[in-house]
Amino acid sequence: MSPAIFPATTIASKLTGVFWRHPKLLLGLLLTPPLLWLGVIYLGSLAALLVQSFYSFDDFSGLVIPEFTLTTYAKLASPANLSIILRTLLMALAVTLASAIIAFPVAYYAARYALGRWKAVFYLGVMLPLWSSYLVKVYAFKLILAKEGIVTWAASATHTDWLLNAALALPFVGGASLSSSYLGTFIVFCYVWLPYMILPMQAAIERVPVGLLEASSDLGATARQTFWTVTLPLALPGVIAGSIFTFSLTLGDYIIPQIIGNSASFIGMAVYQLQGTAGNVPLAAAFAVIPILIMLAYLTLARKAGAFDAL
Amino acid sequence: MPFNASRRLKVAAAAGLAFLHLPIVLIFLYAFTTEERSFAFPPPGLTAQWFAVAWARSDIWPPLILSLQVACVSTGVALILGTLISAAMAGAKFWGRESLSLLVVLPIALPGVVTGIALRSAIPMLHLDFSWITIVLGHATFCIVIVYNNAVARLRRLSGAILEASADLGANAFQTFRHVLLPNLGTALLAGGMLAFALSFDEVIVTTFTAGTGAASKTLPIWMLDELIRPRQRPVTNVVAIVVFATTFLPILAAYYLTRDTSDSPIASK
Amino acid sequence: MPQTPAVTFCAVTRHFGPVKAVDGVDLTVAEGAFFAMLGPSGSGKTTCLRLISGFERPDHGAIHIFGQDVSAVPPHLRNVNTVFQDYALFPHLSVRDNVAYGLMVKGMGKAHRLAKAEAMLDLVKLADYGARKPAQLSGGQRQRVALARALVNEPKVLLLDEPLGALDLKLREAMQDELKALQRRLGLTFIFVTHDQGEALSMADSLAVFDKGKIAQIGTPAQIYTQPATRFVADFVGSSNLLPPALTLALGGPAQWASLRPEALRLADTGPISGVVQSQRYLGTGTRINLTLNGTDLAAFVPAGSPVPAEGSQVTLTFAPEALHLLGDAP
Repeated sequence: MSPAIFPATTIASKLTGVFWRHPKLLLGLLLTPPLLWLGVIYLGSLAALLVQSFYSFDDFSGLVIPEFTLTTYAKLASPANLSIILRTLLMALAVTLASAIIAFPVAYYAARYALGRWKAVFYLGVMLPLWSSYLVKVYAFKLILAKEGIVTWAASATHTDWLLNAALALPFVGGASLSSSYLGTFIVFCYVWLPYMILPMQAAIERVPVGLLEASSDLGATARQTFWTVTLPLALPGVIAGSIFTFSLTLGDYIIPQIIGNSASFIGMAVYQLQGTAGNVPLAAAFAVIPILIMLAYLTLARKAGAFDAL
Repeated sequence: MPFNASRRLKVAAAAGLAFLHLPIVLIFLYAFTTEERSFAFPPPGLTAQWFAVAWARSDIWPPLILSLQVACVSTGVALILGTLISAAMAGAKFWGRESLSLLVVLPIALPGVVTGIALRSAIPMLHLDFSWITIVLGHATFCIVIVYNNAVARLRRLSGAILEASADLGANAFQTFRHVLLPNLGTALLAGGMLAFALSFDEVIVTTFTAGTGAASKTLPIWMLDELIRPRQRPVTNVVAIVVFATTFLPILAAYYLTRDTSDSPIASK
Repeated sequence: MPQTPAVTFCAVTRHFGPVKAVDGVDLTVAEGAFFAMLGPSGSGKTTCLRLISGFERPDHGAIHIFGQDVSAVPPHLRNVNTVFQDYALFPHLSVRDNVAYGLMVKGMGKAHRLAKAEAMLDLVKLADYGARKPAQLSGGQRQRVALARALVNEPKVLLLDEPLGALDLKLREAMQDELKALQRRLGLTFIFVTHDQGEALSMADSLAVFDKGKIAQIGTPAQIYTQPATRFVADFVGSSNLLPPALTLALGGPAQWASLRPEALRLADTGPISGVVQSQRYLGTGTRINLTLNGTDLAAFVPAGSPVPAEGSQVTLTFAPEALHLLGDAP
């Protein structure tokens, strides 16, 4: 006769019994190392950042004064700094809109029409640029947008120089060449963040039941009406999910505007330069708090719009 | 298929994909150009000499080795911590579960410059010197989520009852981990590790904040960034770009094949 | 010497926050019984099963398995095995390795355990399927693998959580017979959870009916069916006419809730019940007619072969006095 209860013979078996009697113990053992890392190193750093933003910086001695003050935030509100923030926000907005427009046909085709082998091609075709080296992608555009580069060559080969020159002659966004204008910065941002927009969009469109589209056309809607009244509203959570990435990434980037652009400052550049050469960590920290606040507000709005289901 | 794609949609989709890929092709082309001072197109001539030049350049090797070292250690740390979190998540529901998953995602949800400046301002407070270890500190933090996302996507598809079934059949916790959890999570963890490696290997934004200034903490992406700002032999930079591209491309492809049969797309969750 | 029961619950309670999933349950399952836990979803029956396997721990009360208190015994040390609702087969292992898993973790040698697994697969008529993966099997086959995987460990008690729930009707009926035969042959204690009263009545030696975390009644299928203890049991098991106290009084009983099975009502020339047939439903073995008496809906069963009164016609019904079964609910 076999027993109804087996004895715990090994240490592993006894420990399992201890874990079973004290479920919190196992959980605690599993979570202690990651919580130490993320909680102490990461959250601790964020807290340090927040604390530093309430310190001030003495311009004459070049030292940080570790006393609570709001003067750093007051400096942040100076016209020069506000224009940096506004410029960054406008760029993030423009990049998000343009990415959504470029991404839509790719996402729509991949979600609705690509089958089997082509589905894999589209998937990899978006996934590889997403994951491949950021710096290599930025570098590629330095080649492309350079004055002597392929864009200028292609424009003269197709006799569309006038179009390129007209774009560069535009006030504000234009410049001497694409690689030294807002237009160039904008193009590179769109390129680098595009895959982040395509993937959630595709996922959202895939979730729109084909039956709904058929129902819409059954009820007499034209293809255009179906698109505007059925497909787009249902795909919107995906667009918002994608925009979280394009917006957040543009807000914080400081390498693209440094390499391609007219050397006007963006939030990321301000953070990098202030902490680096100037050593003004408090102001850099205060600048960094801006994208955090913007993203928290954006995430709250996106959650309300149901975008997290599409992530 | 209920509808046929219009020609306009096809062209737009193809153009979108081409926009994503053509720039990378140009990187390869310019590695063979004979013009080293500008990015003239079309290249005046083609040569393979830059590969030999790059090989002989002594300033490329230390950054390459440092980058590999950082990526390996960061991936290791991320694999351990990511596996621990997903093992905890595989078990019963617990208080704070939602907050924990938010905490894991935060390092990539916030802009890299925030993570960078945060670590930058915290490291001196801890009286740590900037070195390759502080680089790992930053990299591992945002690599955890990559491993975790892959593992969680897999866990979601597994029947939760298989862990109970294992205990029911007499397995202790360690046997369940080894014989049930690991085999089922294995490829997802491996794929997560591959992606974490790729991400760490070419990361530059956080790295510039945590690397310090010495030559000893110059990773390959930082070397590239310097070349982008102050170009010397431009085609050599292209050769290095190809190396960086290949070093990240192969693990990504491997991750894709490891998770391909599993219908969900965990590597989409960068 | 009295036989040690296979499982006993003594005032067992399990709460999930404010929800009392199991609320003061006392229970005895005899060795060798085919015991059913019947109830609607959320009635606590599955939690009781999980308390036996050890995946839940009682907040109060004690559980004994073959006389031994298991309050400190983790699941892997209980010689009890479960057939899970969705089978929970290991997707990465072959059918053979799934079945041999329990023997492997207990340290049995490879040749020995694989031989035992094959023998068990033979018993559940899956002899040629050992090399397949669970994903390559049909629902019914997976169910058998889950059964073999549990039985190969020779457990003292086999727990089955809605084991036939995922199968289609035909297969479910065939499996009911097979399970019953298997239990007889092995002489094992089976405890199975179901929400299907037909399944519980036809398979179990005895059953417990669960309602809101408590046991409403324990008994043999015949006892439960003919002598339901409460309105809930009368209504949930089979179909029954529930008579409110006033109606029971009018029909010659005390002023108490009572139940009257439809098949106990007969068409007659005179009788205490008369009314107009409002609807009828053909059931194959007979026809059910519905009428209303003093505001209470009543159903009567007319066996096949007897003339069925048309809808709208006036009928009179009678019943044997002993068919009026009084219920324990407060009036």
